[in-house]
Amino acid sequence: MAAPAPVLPTTRDENWKHAPLRGIERLRWAPPTALTQEAELAATALLGDDSPQGAIGARIVLVDGLPCPELARGNAAGVAYRAADSLKQPGEPTASIDLAFAGLNRHHRQGELLIRVPDGETLELEVVCVALACGHPALRIDLGTRASLRLLERHLGVASSLANLSLSVGLGHGARLEHARLLQPADGARHFETLQAAVGADANYRVIQVTSGAAATRSTALVSLEGAGADLGWHTAALGTGTQTHDAYVRVTHDAPAVRTEQGFRGIAADRSRIAFNGHMQVTARAPGAHSAQTLRGLTAGAAAEIDLRPQLEIDIDDVRASHGATIGKLDADMLFYLLSRGLDQATADSLLKWAFIADVIARLSDPAWRSRFEDALAPLLPGAHAARSLT
Amino acid sequence: MLEIKDLHARVGDRKVLDGINLHVPNGEVHAIMGPNGSGKSTLAYVLAGRPGYEVTGGSVLFRGQDLLTMAPEERAQAGLFLGFQYPVEIPGVNNVYLLKAALNAARKHRGLPEVDAFEFLQLVRGKMKLMQMDEAFLSRGVNEGFSGGEKKRNEILQMLVLEPSLALLDETDSGLDIDALKVVAQGVNTLRAPDRAIVLVTHYQRLLDHIRPDRVHVLARGRILRSGGPELALELEARGYDWLLAGETA
Repeated sequence: MAAPAPVLPTTRDENWKHAPLRGIERLRWAPPTALTQEAELAATALLGDDSPQGAIGARIVLVDGLPCPELARGNAAGVAYRAADSLKQPGEPTASIDLAFAGLNRHHRQGELLIRVPDGETLELEVVCVALACGHPALRIDLGTRASLRLLERHLGVASSLANLSLSVGLGHGARLEHARLLQPADGARHFETLQAAVGADANYRVIQVTSGAAATRSTALVSLEGAGADLGWHTAALGTGTQTHDAYVRVTHDAPAVRTEQGFRGIAADRSRIAFNGHMQVTARAPGAHSAQTLRGLTAGAAAEIDLRPQLEIDIDDVRASHGATIGKLDADMLFYLLSRGLDQATADSLLKWAFIADVIARLSDPAWRSRFEDALAPLLPGAHAARSLT
Repeated sequence: MLEIKDLHARVGDRKVLDGINLHVPNGEVHAIMGPNGSGKSTLAYVLAGRPGYEVTGGSVLFRGQDLLTMAPEERAQAGLFLGFQYPVEIPGVNNVYLLKAALNAARKHRGLPEVDAFEFLQLVRGKMKLMQMDEAFLSRGVNEGFSGGEKKRNEILQMLVLEPSLALLDETDSGLDIDALKVVAQGVNTLRAPDRAIVLVTHYQRLLDHIRPDRVHVLARGRILRSGGPELALELEARGYDWLLAGETA
């Protein structure tokens, strides 16, 4: 039996002020019950021809939340799709409004992709979620003691699609997860997601995310550093064009001794787009020696563009090192003139500086092939900057 | 190459250039000297088209074209190069990419195909050797973390790769030790050619010991007060600017 449908938030709710919630009550949230041949063809077309250079070891594809074995690639040991019928549903509506979309996902999901890496083992995987109509993809990532996963997660979708992703991440003692995320549904699509993560002792969780597609995205992330020495790197970028809205709320709870977070955000709002990032750092009394560093930066590149950055620190203990800062500005006029004085045209110079603004996020990807994937994905948005890769 | 007539310009409400007249023929090196605040850097910025520097009168012909109607990038593509006094740092944009993009922009303007990566790197490596620069600089962000001297070398490297018709070098010697000055001067001298011209903006004679100018101009109070041969720079070194300014006042 499906979980009951939760009450959805409004912009009057704390942490949802900038969320793209207008008209959500009229959206058709029910997903398709089965994957049709037409849907498979449409997903194939959206995926295009993935370059072998950027190919990840194995690939799983979910279309509107349903597995599409025909588009899978390689052998991903430890990865399995479990239909909703076989899952134990909590059956309780979620108390926190921040988890309302996760509740909606549980209500509608057809199943769950379980990515399990046993103790001491390693895995490299690509998961592509394709939205054609409406999907509630659910991913559960479970890393055992000193297990290691490199996960590239991509989201594509057609213009009218609706996606509501639920991600549940658990890192065991000493586990490592490099989680590269690329959100690029077509303009017009809507994408909601909720990530809940529990990071164990001495585990290392790295999130590198770029959001550039869809008419509207809302990311909610609740991360708990539960084990002593847990280490979180959270580096994300959002690029808004047209009338897009990209809104994110990230709450990191430092809840064990000597845990550490480094969070960076880069937002570029062009045209009439709106970007919001609310980074909430909590340090509880159980986290002596915690270290939290937060740097949020926004670039407005349109007369009617808006950026709202909200760094928040909530500390319940003295023994902590915490820093946070947020700046919003425009393209640097001196840099721009320097590039123009070298003969680059205005559009290329603009693109290059925007590229430079977010390059710090992409540079954190450990694998050059992954960086190439991100660069390729951003090329249409930053014409001219794509060639800015090192030639040496 | 460059013909400036009665050029007036201001920055904000401040009148900085007050009737500059200057003729720089092909093949020559001209030095512009003058006290602080005389308008030397403003002249360089006005010629390069920097926003905020408003031309209020006069004309500038560059290779027969009306320079003042051209956008900054068009001036660069047409062969004008400004070596900055304070080159800006641009983290995230590779030095090598900027070099290649700038070179291709100039080639495109001349109707030439883009340079291929191998040919380009051969070219750049040769120029870097001349400037005694480590190749590691290529993969770093533009001027990112460079010392003052490294930034100036990088400016000259860009100039050598782009081979402009007219190079305006704004206090390229400032912040350089003697050895670095020699290297930079050697780079500049490499560019001397009958179909090019170089304008050096400098405070000091010492640069002119290494780059011998054909003409020296003294710019003060927004105007060229005196022009002469290389001996004028020696006279300025010995006597300073006061005698010229006093004469102007009288």
